Amino acid sequence: MPKKILIVEDEKILAEIYRDKFTEAGFEVLVTFEAEEGLKLAKKEKPDLIVLDILLPRENGVYFLTELKNDLEISSIPVVVFSNFDDPETKRTALRLGVKDYLIKTNYTPKEIVAKIKNYLK
Amino acid sequence: MDFVLISKIFIYLINLLGFWLAFWIYLFNRKSRINQTFLILTLLILLWIDFAYLANLPSQLNRALFWVRLNFGVISLFFISAYFFSIYFPQEQKRFPILDKAVLGIGIIFFLASIFTDLIIKNVEFKEWGADIIFGRGKDIFFSVIIILTFLILYNLFKKYFTLPKQEKLKIQYFLIGVFIFALFNFIFNVTLPIIRGTYKYYQFADYSAILFLGFTAYAIVKRELFGIKVVLTYLFVGLIAILLLLDTLVFTSQLSLQILKGLILILFLYFGYLLIKSVLLEIQRRQEIEKIDKAKSEFISIASHQLRTPLTAIKGYISMILEGTYGQLAEKQVRPMENVYQSNERLIKLVNDLLNLSRLDAGKIEFSPELNSLEEMVSDIIEELRINAEKKGLYMKIVKSLKPLPKIMVDQDKLRQVILNIIDNAIKYTKEGGITLELKKLDGEEEIKVSDTGEGMDKGELNSLFQMFSRTTAGTQLHAEGAGLGLYVARQFIEMHGGKIWAESPGKGKGSTFYIQLPIHLDPKLLKTKTKTITKAANDIF
Repeated sequence: MPKKILIVEDEKILAEIYRDKFTEAGFEVLVTFEAEEGLKLAKKEKPDLIVLDILLPRENGVYFLTELKNDLEISSIPVVVFSNFDDPETKRTALRLGVKDYLIKTNYTPKEIVAKIKNYLK
Repeated sequence: MDFVLISKIFIYLINLLGFWLAFWIYLFNRKSRINQTFLILTLLILLWIDFAYLANLPSQLNRALFWVRLNFGVISLFFISAYFFSIYFPQEQKRFPILDKAVLGIGIIFFLASIFTDLIIKNVEFKEWGADIIFGRGKDIFFSVIIILTFLILYNLFKKYFTLPKQEKLKIQYFLIGVFIFALFNFIFNVTLPIIRGTYKYYQFADYSAILFLGFTAYAIVKRELFGIKVVLTYLFVGLIAILLLLDTLVFTSQLSLQILKGLILILFLYFGYLLIKSVLLEIQRRQEIEKIDKAKSEFISIASHQLRTPLTAIKGYISMILEGTYGQLAEKQVRPMENVYQSNERLIKLVNDLLNLSRLDAGKIEFSPELNSLEEMVSDIIEELRINAEKKGLYMKIVKSLKPLPKIMVDQDKLRQVILNIIDNAIKYTKEGGITLELKKLDGEEEIKVSDTGEGMDKGELNSLFQMFSRTTAGTQLHAEGAGLGLYVARQFIEMHGGKIWAESPGKGKGSTFYIQLPIHLDPKLLKTKTKTITKAANDIF
């Protein structure tokens, strides 16, 4: 069965790139542009991993992580932050909230990011 | 001037000022525990001063014992309120209910014992300057408890001092300055003067200084942005000397000609003091303006960098996928231009990263977080990552490790990784044939990473300016040197954060280059605190 990943990314072009690349790599991909919507999808679909952007419209990625950690039903789903916002304090908060990694988008090609995610799902 | 009259004027002034301070603070925020406690504290201090004044008035001789006892009763209550103030100010701390009740209980017992028994105050004896107290049997216990309470209050504040943010720390500093002034005046008028002049006549000036303590505390409570302690000390210094000069002129000098002379000195002093304070304030204002500009600059860079990264990520994503064949195989003629677009985009990404790093270095916002790491593992990982790039250019990449594995050392992994990546990446970029050799070894007190390439090499001029940021005068020429400028400057800052060294050597153009990084095996603990303060100087040149 293909692994299911949820991408929470508000930049439509980037979301499209990652959706294509992960689909090509054999993943089942769910994409959402908002934190609240992402939480609902996570509860409904129970993905194997979540790729999360930090700067999102309305509620941000830190809110998403806090809510996720407070909900026992989905709190154990691994999350990898993938954002261009590399504020040290946000990074520290995210790591404290249990994210697997905090990656800066520009430093990785889609192929590299797929390889990283595969590694986390091993 | 008549000493009795001066005392009278002082006591009225102090009471007026005290009342105003107490109610100003209270009305500022009636619900705040700090403000409520300050009101009680201030009223008790005023009573303390007034009862002491009354006890020493010649007209109150027959009631002196009554006033002194009331005075000591109020002192007991004052220390209770000061204890609770130290709990609430500037932020409420963890409470110990038993201790709170004990302080309250003991304070009330002392209050009652002072007023209604002769345990603490037995009697008063009349001296030429006023009422001399004859203490009762409980004197030692009373003063011991007061000393313990004082230590408890200071302990509460010092404990909080180390955990609170800068502005809150300043508030505690203000409070402590107030306490210090109060203590200093007491030392001058209750210890030094009695020794020199053999009289307690001027003791009330020590009491009056309580108003300065109240003023400092009140200011710390209501003001959001406090002046730095240096400004306050300047004010204080000028103010104290002015008060002492004034007292000397009015109270301690009886000869008119001397009074005029001292008055003139006082006026001169006030004028120069005014100039001093004005220049300090002007300097502060300038510094604040510079800080504001600096902050705006850093924020701009931060936001701009983030905004720039989004389209760069999209370009990187699409080009890499086109090159990988996701959208169909490229014609041979198309590969090179696409690779060039990809490389140009990579340069832009690197530039944005460097700019962001610089703005953070500049703002002192880069955090240094060293952990125990193995340099061998880090370097091996990086080589694996870059091996494909080297192989594409037909270059070899080898690593020479020392025979014995190197011990793990404290390094900030992200930063060191960025530095090594940068250097190897440059080596690949500037080498057309041959390859890159990495060598790791342990020296006396340091571990060394040596990166040698068989590339273009550098002349002396290039070597000298390699790790410096381009200055405005040379920016034109230096910017044309691809990749030079920011990356290695940031690298140097990162290595210096570790207390390490980075430099390059080259026998000349066309003869290859060697980069050296040396990191201390034992990290200096001081570096954990100083962080980035040393690096702001040059960073200002760029923007």
